[in-house]
Amino acid sequence: MGWYHLSLVLLLITASVLQQFSPLFEPLYEGRVLIVPLAFLCAAVTVNTGPMLLLAFIGGFLWDAQHVITPLPESLSGNPEVYTDTTGDLKFGYSIILYALMGFFMQGLQPLFREGKWHISAVLSGVAIFLYLSAEYLLISFVRGDPMITRSLVLKIGFTSLLTMMLCPVMFWTLYRLAGLFHHTISYEGLKIDRRGLPE
Amino acid sequence: MKPINFIALVLFICGVVWVLTLSEGTVRNIQHAYYGTISPFVRGGSSLETTARDFLREIEHSEDLENQLRAIQGEYIKLRSIEGRLRELETENNELRRALNFQEKQRLNVVAARVIKRQPATWWETAIIDKGQDDSIGAGVPVIAPGGLAGKVDVASEDTCSMILLTDERCQVSVQVVGTPEVGILHGMRGRYGEEPRLILRHLSREAAILPGMKVITTGKGGLFPSNLLVGTVKEYTPGPVEGVALVKPSVNFDELGVVFVIAHKNGEEEG
Repeated sequence: MGWYHLSLVLLLITASVLQQFSPLFEPLYEGRVLIVPLAFLCAAVTVNTGPMLLLAFIGGFLWDAQHVITPLPESLSGNPEVYTDTTGDLKFGYSIILYALMGFFMQGLQPLFREGKWHISAVLSGVAIFLYLSAEYLLISFVRGDPMITRSLVLKIGFTSLLTMMLCPVMFWTLYRLAGLFHHTISYEGLKIDRRGLPE
Repeated sequence: MKPINFIALVLFICGVVWVLTLSEGTVRNIQHAYYGTISPFVRGGSSLETTARDFLREIEHSEDLENQLRAIQGEYIKLRSIEGRLRELETENNELRRALNFQEKQRLNVVAARVIKRQPATWWETAIIDKGQDDSIGAGVPVIAPGGLAGKVDVASEDTCSMILLTDERCQVSVQVVGTPEVGILHGMRGRYGEEPRLILRHLSREAAILPGMKVITTGKGGLFPSNLLVGTVKEYTPGPVEGVALVKPSVNFDELGVVFVIAHKNGEEEG
């Protein structure tokens, strides 16, 4: 664990702040750029399992702190004789597990990334966001019951993934800058010159 | 698996179990602290978003705005004349109320707040407003907007609040269909994005005499929301084998949610 890993933690916290500035694109089925998951996904591909799990924990924790709706205390939940329906919801901390799963997915692509094919990682981070949002929605549907899969839902997930994916090059550029700053080696072997003077 | 990775995985699982078993009170405290920390950035993000949106709207709709201004000026003159007539009717109404010995309903003590962030979450229909505990606003209090009921406060920090909108499934309201004895529980509907929101009204009679266009208001039962707040109008009613279900169009325009009123204290709330 070095300065680079610490900088990734700070990057996640910064992403949480920047997330507040991310607008909602109403014409695109309420899609938006998910900066925190993007920062995590891109960072996950540059580190080993241990630091990835730490980032998943911090990222998921911050994400849930903002998004999860915690049930109100009984005194503020209304008369149970009137409000008999107790709609369940996802528990605080579920995002940590989803982040870790996404992290493992991205780490499976590390060989490609190490070959310098970062653009494939960028595309697949869009796929990971799509899977993440789909899983999140399915979990909500499972907990609340009544799964409603509509066209607008699929388009919302699609546009959110696409918008987020478009910021991937910026995130990878930031990561390379951080790696350079803290002398961390991201195995970027695509442009490494071999003994014969040809790219590997 | 390398031993170091195995240890990391074990530590991670322990951490996840710890978080998942946190009590609701602790989670609310964490969220309270989070919102307290993040609120300056939410405000910053909001002002940036508002400026950008206003600028784009001004460019797109400057001609429309001019036409609207002309139309509004015409409407204004017409409304002034109607207002005169209404004043007469108000005086007459007050006299009749006194005559019938009507008990004047106590007014709600509301705090005006501005919506500074719409839908910060992907799936949860929430908004952040610029008033909080400093203005005597706490969790669970109702929020109204021009048009009717808008939702309720979820987490309150010192100077901001996160509110659950009426369009979220978690915001349940006891309501009545005006003109009928039908009462039920209304909540938001999942899966509608970029479309006009709809609410679901459940627990109605199997074959209730509910027609499209009927108004839906709060009953005040259950102690969460005051009575007689407009919630929406019925769009469609479906009788079922056990219970009837109605689709309701909310009376509040959630796309244009700018200013809301938080009911800070309820003075002598009336029960159903």
